[in-house]
Amino acid sequence: MESYTLKESKPILKVFVYIFLGIWAIINLFPIYFMFTFSLKSNEEIFGSNIIGLPKHWLWSNFTSAMKTGNMGLYFFNSLLVTTLAIGISLMAALMACYAITRIRWKLSGLANAFFMLGLTIPIQASIVPVYVILSKAHWLNKYSTLIVPYSAFALSMGILICTGFMSEIPMALDEAARIDGCGLFGTFFKIILPLMKPAFSTVGVYSYLQCWNEFMFANVFISDSFHRTLPVGIKALSGAYTTDWGPIGAALVIATFPTLIVYIFLSGKITSSFIAGAVKG
Amino acid sequence: MKMRRFVSMLLTGVMALSIAGCGSTSAPASSDAGTDTNATAAATEAPAETTTDTATATTDSGEQIDLTMWCIATESDSNRHAYEAAIADMQAAHPEVNFTWEAFENQSYKTKIKAAVSANELPDIFFTWSCAFLGDFVDAGKVYCLDDAYQNYKDELPEVMLGNTTYNGKHYGVPTTMNIVGLFANMDLLKEAGYDEIPGTYDEFIACCDALKAKGIIPFGCAGKETWCVTEYLESVIEKSAGADTLNDIFLGRATWNNQDVADAVDTFQALVTNGYFDPSGIGLTNDEVKNNFMAGKYAFYMNGTWNCADFAANEEFFPKVRVSEFPVINADKAKLGQLIGGPSDTLAVSASSPNAEKAADYAFELGKLICHYGYLDGCGLPAWTPYGDTSSVNELTKAVAEICSKADTYVLFGDTAMNADSANTYLSYVDQVYGCLLDGKQFIEGLSKDIQ
Amino acid sequence: MEEIKNIKKQRRKRDIEKGLAIFVFLLPGLLLFISILIAPIAVSLYRSLYDWNGFSEGTFIGFNNYIELFTNGSIKFITSLKNSLILAFFSVFIQLPLALLLALLLGRGVKREKTFLSIFFMPVLISTVVIGQLWLKIYNPDYGLLNRFLDAVNLGHLKHVWVGDVKTALGSIIVPTVWQYVGYHMLLMYAGVKGVDIDLREAAMLDGATKWQVDKYIIIPIIKPILRVSVIFAVTGSLKTYDLVRILTEGGPFQSTEVPSTLLENMLFLRNRYGMGSTISVMLIILCFAFALLITAAFKEKDD
Repeated sequence: MESYTLKESKPILKVFVYIFLGIWAIINLFPIYFMFTFSLKSNEEIFGSNIIGLPKHWLWSNFTSAMKTGNMGLYFFNSLLVTTLAIGISLMAALMACYAITRIRWKLSGLANAFFMLGLTIPIQASIVPVYVILSKAHWLNKYSTLIVPYSAFALSMGILICTGFMSEIPMALDEAARIDGCGLFGTFFKIILPLMKPAFSTVGVYSYLQCWNEFMFANVFISDSFHRTLPVGIKALSGAYTTDWGPIGAALVIATFPTLIVYIFLSGKITSSFIAGAVKG
Repeated sequence: MKMRRFVSMLLTGVMALSIAGCGSTSAPASSDAGTDTNATAAATEAPAETTTDTATATTDSGEQIDLTMWCIATESDSNRHAYEAAIADMQAAHPEVNFTWEAFENQSYKTKIKAAVSANELPDIFFTWSCAFLGDFVDAGKVYCLDDAYQNYKDELPEVMLGNTTYNGKHYGVPTTMNIVGLFANMDLLKEAGYDEIPGTYDEFIACCDALKAKGIIPFGCAGKETWCVTEYLESVIEKSAGADTLNDIFLGRATWNNQDVADAVDTFQALVTNGYFDPSGIGLTNDEVKNNFMAGKYAFYMNGTWNCADFAANEEFFPKVRVSEFPVINADKAKLGQLIGGPSDTLAVSASSPNAEKAADYAFELGKLICHYGYLDGCGLPAWTPYGDTSSVNELTKAVAEICSKADTYVLFGDTAMNADSANTYLSYVDQVYGCLLDGKQFIEGLSKDIQ
Repeated sequence: MEEIKNIKKQRRKRDIEKGLAIFVFLLPGLLLFISILIAPIAVSLYRSLYDWNGFSEGTFIGFNNYIELFTNGSIKFITSLKNSLILAFFSVFIQLPLALLLALLLGRGVKREKTFLSIFFMPVLISTVVIGQLWLKIYNPDYGLLNRFLDAVNLGHLKHVWVGDVKTALGSIIVPTVWQYVGYHMLLMYAGVKGVDIDLREAAMLDGATKWQVDKYIIIPIIKPILRVSVIFAVTGSLKTYDLVRILTEGGPFQSTEVPSTLLENMLFLRNRYGMGSTISVMLIILCFAFALLITAAFKEKDD
């Protein structure tokens, strides 16, 4: 790898590349920095002279109000719980469906795959009222599972798409060998395929996370008690409460963002290599 | 002594109301006393029975029931304290009711409540806006009729106050407070332009705006991101140009929008915009942001609902500077002072699907009365119920509003409340375009008369 | 005879076992998928033929909702479609090329590759609601970063009420949207670039090809399927866009920034026109499919 890089013939070009990457990195980091600093400032500082500098007085009290009035701690926990479980369920369902589609030979497997791929283009808003009616008839509102189930369904298609990429890399010979050893279809799946699919987990996880963590519309309509509220709804409510007091809003935004960013920074190496391993095959 | 005069003054105002009923489903305005008494007489037998029922049920079984309520009194809402205080009182008075409540942000609430109606998932008691908003739910048979429960409260709650929640002669809502559109002024800024009073005539008013502008002060603040804020200005201008009855007829579908007086009024309003009386950044702001700008002294005038009195009174620094007044008459041939925009709109209703609807109805009345009481004390609006207790702590601004209402001649309910949801949104979209000067008065009336049937 | 029967029996047994396995493996996915996505769409399709407010009796009106959608100017469906397509245009022609460029540069193996990669992916991980709130603070006409920056560099005349001005409102939605998802597409493409066999690059370089030539003639053709997926995601994502519009402009000013999803929500929940709302959602699904097919076809054409 390095040797390949060293073959760079025009150093000026290389400098330009780094300047370009550096500028884009700043464009990406600056809003995050801006959010962090204004979360610790008072309005005088934000509206006054010190709009982008580090805070002169570190106002941690903004975080206290976001946690107390805005209940951000609870909402963060709720989002985390809902997202994690939704990822788990969609991952399992996707792996199983993918196994049936790619590893077992049957006539309609292509059709089944195409059917699941429909989900990639369906807008989530389109199904909100019918789903709401079904859930309410089943007395299934205001629970964590009210959100977990629809979220898993919406993450499913992307999960299957990614798993297909990974699963097609596993040689069919493994299945055949397992079959000869007396493993049934179920045994093959749980003992052979599942352990080999581990690298796929983080890729599917990241994509499902993106869908579940951000979701606002379902969370707003399906959950009517504040105990089960998720972060996006909580932030919207808080931003109404503090329209002109930017500090606590900033603090809420930081609470909603930084933990995941930190986790990501620690796992990014692993996540990237898993992405490379299972590049979407189209 | 002073207080009693004030209350009686308020009551005369209330009694003089001619609040029109709403939509095609409502009964003709309930001012006709003859039919009213008939209806009440016919209905008294049944309710007498039910009240005893309720009484025995609560006394002998002492059984716990669950009641839930949804409302929009979030932390940032000026009604929050009134709700909290009222609910605390209710919980103390009714230990047999296991009462839970949730508050939602205004815009999300509209989404939620409609989804809940479609799915039959309404809570026992819910906050609603009167007239068309509640009317749609009543038409669908989702709202519990409150006629029986009302019998116990009719001495404290004047029947005229139920006009906006009466459909086909039946009552479906418990009003809490009523509000009108007020012209709020920052007297410090007016003084800078050489005015000690809010000008009483339209010509003086315009001269005042010019004087303010010359001083570099923005006359009006208005949130363009929330169109209802624009209607607070526009409807007042139309009413004071074309007359209250004309506007009422149009809102209630008794006349079409195709009315030259309205077109002229819209042009008058647009002239205010094109003359630069409005803050140009207002168009990208929400109402909360504009209100805060007003309190921070950025605008001389702010036209909005009188529920804002509570927030203004709570701001010690700003409160001494603010006065409230009625929008001046533009065309004295058709309109006069005393024609106001507003009326009781904030309402509690009971779900027809509630397993304890009967008890919820009583609970809603008692709760509504308390919310009204505390809301009035806080300055969130004028009481729809007869005030009781010591009301001397009511802020001066709210008292000034009460004074305006005591001289009221006609009320026209806010257009987006009076019209059904579809028409109201078409109307709002046209208002939006008028504010942005994309349409003039003529196009406004022609477009609306075409798009609203 | 007996033997053949036995074999047949065994085969049937195996077929049954296989069928059972397929059924069991597909079951969780199908259950989720059909109950949450397919069934509601069927309901929407049915309801789109009704004039219905969501809670009382509806009336069957055939395709009138569809006709009204295009003929009634106050519904603004055409505007919303135009806005989505403008957004799709910027996504495909600004966002994707930028993402591809970044992916290719990083794929060549620059120093601090992993660090850059992590930084570029960060905006994707931030909740859209957070991004929206953040950009509102940047766009704020009085205290926002953008206007104060323009003041500071003496470009005060360029100041705008960014989200409230017809000329800039759509742009102020496009910028954060494009910005946020560059990283998403970059990672998709980067994974593809890294998947290309290193020997292939080395061989081409030995033949005297420059890096740009390698990228152009070897890497891009190989990752073409990924590009196709990216284009499909960018276009359907633009058609479905919702959160940022809701937070930044509420569809305003004067409904100039409405997109189909915000209209859909208005119809369902503000205007009580459930039938019309269903019609919009059906249209949205049809459009998403049509574009997905069109894009696939376009990529196939190029191959031939």
